[in-house]
Amino acid sequence: MKIPFIALLAIGMASCTNSSSTSHEPAQNDSTEQNEPVVVEEKASGYSIGDEATDFSLPSTKGTKVSLADYPDTKGFIVIFTCNHCPYAVAYEQRIVDLNTKYAALGYPVIAISPNDTTIVPKDGLAAMKERAKEKGFTFPYLLDETQSIYPQYGATKTPHTFVLNKENGKNIVKYIGAIDNNYEDASDVSERYVEDAVDALIKGEEIKTKTTKAIGCSIKDNRNKK
Amino acid sequence: MISHIKHITFITTLCIFISVGCNNTKNQRFEAVKYDQLLSIVKQNDDKLYVVNFWATWCRPCMEELPHFLEVDAEYRTNKKYEMILVSLDMSSNLHEGVAKVVKTMHIQPDVLLLDDAKRMNDWIPMIDTDWDGAIPVTAFYKNGKQLYFHEGQLSKSELEQLIKKHI
Repeated sequence: MKIPFIALLAIGMASCTNSSSTSHEPAQNDSTEQNEPVVVEEKASGYSIGDEATDFSLPSTKGTKVSLADYPDTKGFIVIFTCNHCPYAVAYEQRIVDLNTKYAALGYPVIAISPNDTTIVPKDGLAAMKERAKEKGFTFPYLLDETQSIYPQYGATKTPHTFVLNKENGKNIVKYIGAIDNNYEDASDVSERYVEDAVDALIKGEEIKTKTTKAIGCSIKDNRNKK
Repeated sequence: MISHIKHITFITTLCIFISVGCNNTKNQRFEAVKYDQLLSIVKQNDDKLYVVNFWATWCRPCMEELPHFLEVDAEYRTNKKYEMILVSLDMSSNLHEGVAKVVKTMHIQPDVLLLDDAKRMNDWIPMIDTDWDGAIPVTAFYKNGKQLYFHEGQLSKSELEQLIKKHI
């Protein structure tokens, strides 16, 4: 059966070649150059390191409005754009509570801001935020960017997205932008604590080693960004 | 009698070879990879256009655009100069549950690779695009080891089709 085996192999392969040569080739569009889709989105400019961050007055889960100016005695802030629904944000909830526990006493309290359009994500509405804050024991203000006017100024694009601010000559200066640490999946296996390192450096008056980091997150939901 | 058996064996073997040889549906890759492995897959010098979509089951805009990607993939998947790879950014522990479930219920045919490299996000995100800060969905197009196009946010079916036509 040796010869038929080889012959069969050849037939099998040939039949494969024949069939694939008739495979569907999509029609070429002659005018592809003119048809380049307009898919470049306007990017929110946002802050760079060293920029002055804007203050705001946003509703909190406590029923009051909160501004950075309400904290005259702090040295700065850990502003975190976060929300109820995003699994990344949820994975960081306890770490955000821990950050506030550690750094509010050292002059850098956490201010959490939920940036999503609540008509797109009702789970991120103020009532649901109130429940989450209570359930998780949030010790920091949890605010809603209800007109979605603050997050674009900061240049937040996802949740969680952190901005460490330092008070310098009465201004809130952006010192760090990015992730909280380098392992959202497992808090016990973190090897880089970006936000803690940044705030520790500010407290010591040292240069921040890593000023910006990138991480995956949930894109901020905003109908104005829809094409 | 023996020759009859041989004859039947011959025909059966012939049928198997033809059916296997003609089967265009290759085995779907469904596994967790590190960034280096992902790059070696999409940056091959094989004249193929790799349409690489970064998504996650928890990402609402990703799940909204996914059906369009699957429709376009159905049109192109027999084209030897094309390959779609869906890079899941779900937690690695979710690969065989949530991600597998979506693959099954949505009849996903393209390869699904879960990028299990959470601790090195700050390394690989800028390597995919220097301006990308990690919000998904994004889609990158690679051919012969080079990235031809990078898009942040959703793509419509027609936008995706036009980009493939342009770069294939």
